[in-house]
Amino acid sequence: MPPTHPLVTPAAASRPLVIQATRGWRSIDVREIWTYRDLLLIFAARDVKVRYRQTFLGALWVMGQPLVTMLIFTLLFSRVARLRADTGTPYPLFVLGGVILWNFLSGAIQRSGNSLLGASHLISKVYFPRLVVPLSNIVTDLADFGVSALLLIPMMLWYRVAPGPTLLLMPLVVLIASAFALGVGLWVAALNIEYRDVRVIIPFILQIAMYVTPVVYPLTALPERYRQLAVWNPATGLVEAFRATLYGTPLPGLPLLWSIVASLLLLVSGAYYFRRMERLFADIL
Amino acid sequence: MSTPSVQVESLSKRYRIGAMRNDYATLRDRIAGAFRFRDPAPEARDLWALKDVSLEIAQGEALGLIGHNGAGKSTLLKILSRITEPTSGRVILHGRVASLLEVGTGFHPELTGRENIFLNGAILGMTRDEIRRNFDAIVAFAEIEKFLDTPVKRYSSGMYVRLAFAVAAHLTPEILLIDEVLAVGDIEFQRRCLGRMNEVARSGRTVVFVSHNLESIERLCSRAVLMSGGAIAKSGPAAEVLAYYVSRRGAAGDDTDLRDFPDREGTGRARIVALELLGADGTRADAVEFGASFGIRMHYEVSERVTAPTFGIAILDQRNERVVLSNSQEGKLTFEAIDGPGRVECAIERANLLPGAYFLEAWIVDTTRNAFADHLRMVAKFEIVASADVRDNVAALTAPERGYVWLPSRWSIHP
Repeated sequence: MPPTHPLVTPAAASRPLVIQATRGWRSIDVREIWTYRDLLLIFAARDVKVRYRQTFLGALWVMGQPLVTMLIFTLLFSRVARLRADTGTPYPLFVLGGVILWNFLSGAIQRSGNSLLGASHLISKVYFPRLVVPLSNIVTDLADFGVSALLLIPMMLWYRVAPGPTLLLMPLVVLIASAFALGVGLWVAALNIEYRDVRVIIPFILQIAMYVTPVVYPLTALPERYRQLAVWNPATGLVEAFRATLYGTPLPGLPLLWSIVASLLLLVSGAYYFRRMERLFADIL
Repeated sequence: MSTPSVQVESLSKRYRIGAMRNDYATLRDRIAGAFRFRDPAPEARDLWALKDVSLEIAQGEALGLIGHNGAGKSTLLKILSRITEPTSGRVILHGRVASLLEVGTGFHPELTGRENIFLNGAILGMTRDEIRRNFDAIVAFAEIEKFLDTPVKRYSSGMYVRLAFAVAAHLTPEILLIDEVLAVGDIEFQRRCLGRMNEVARSGRTVVFVSHNLESIERLCSRAVLMSGGAIAKSGPAAEVLAYYVSRRGAAGDDTDLRDFPDREGTGRARIVALELLGADGTRADAVEFGASFGIRMHYEVSERVTAPTFGIAILDQRNERVVLSNSQEGKLTFEAIDGPGRVECAIERANLLPGAYFLEAWIVDTTRNAFADHLRMVAKFEIVASADVRDNVAALTAPERGYVWLPSRWSIHP
């Protein structure tokens, strides 16, 4: 059989690779992750494609879920409990914005938290920086987030709510939200390696967290002392800031600042903890 | 050819059995544990999958790794491919490594052939440009042009394997690690794969090849390393090491004492100490006559009472693949327990296997513990022979070219 492609050995210019036992904390090799960016994008593309292959059902799920949540809470809180958004934003719109960001956060935390287990088949067969797996999950979740955010356009037109100049800050808010979700997701993923019951607890915790975070009610609806507590939750600033950039209402200054700091802390610590635990993973499988 | 491309320096790998697999920790236990005295830790057993292995592989060399299951071949490959870390020692790799521990790693059934080529290629370490450059060659090698845009879940298993291997065959690393991937696909395709790997090896790349298929090791590799118990038992020219490996398996007619046979696993509560081949007349034989009856006698010893044991034998071909298997449970031979030495016999009515060389595999299963008491692989070699007149009448060909099984058949034609 003739050679099917030229077998040219690229000059082995790279430095020799040394494989040996590592101990304790390991650095986060950002350069290496960058060289694997193709794989990261291909993983993300795979997940998006598989989800939206049946275009109708995929989009329906991503958009239908927040829509139904919005309807339920509008019925419950605005009709029954007479809750109002402090900023004058129509309540259904207020809830929808909150739910869309919350869904992104909780979905991304869950998915990146379980990502190693989901990819265990690959991890036991081939090497790549393991951080690529949760990172690619965030990209997939951002795609879902983008699709569900499309819902906001007809809704805002209907309620005649226009965004203000702070809309320009929205990408930044989404970026911080991604860092937050990834940070928590990395912690969960690494804990998952050590403790197998973490997987069962997380959905439960997230469900409670949604009610602790001002997603379906405004922060101002809380009594003063609870409000003081709620702002320590980094998700509070993110949800409030996302809504503020959407509907042109005032930005939550301090809570947002705290969210930025906390998200970065979580991301860096999560990445280090993940790196520390990942080497055990292939052996436990 | 003199620069080493892989240097393995006193590499060891320890697995903690028990601590990992059987009792994994739960967060609940950890939290509960904080409030009371710690339970004694579950007894962790150390298993050294590799013990102080040193090895140098020259650039452009094709090295075959052989050895029985649990000898450490796969662990070595896993460390070389960076899937797991060594416990001590180190490896120095000069050049880009690609490992192929399985064909079609990461294939997604919902995606099309085209999409899977990119996915699988990226997983194996190719960049998108590389995949794009090799795309047509991959498709041609796999012969799936017409089905490129069909989800692979609709592929036949043959097409699936061809596509998976085609991607792998177009990897162009300096060091290629391959584990047992040729055990799949049809013979013709396996041949093409071997040819392709031969090409890769000849083009100056370093290939490390693990297989239990001795024939392909012999064809592909210039040097072989025999591993046993996590260490290197023998290393040298492939033909020499393979001959040594096969020779240690003894002949079934021999009075070989199997007490020291190394390639075994099991609890050891009962041990197979000898195997005898019996001819049609019930006496010891060196070979079996094709078409005649024969038997296998297994002598065992017991160190700890084994309840409800099951005995089994399998006949293997020279590539260590099972041809046929029989166990005492199917033979309706059940008894309560064995607690002393004894022997079991398996009488086979008719040697329906084509003439050729075969190996025996034998085991005793401790049924109540659902574990092997003793399990010997490729333990003894024997031959099935045919007398000249039978050969003329039945089949001029022998195994494996003709397959392994003789199917008594009658043909008729009705034009």
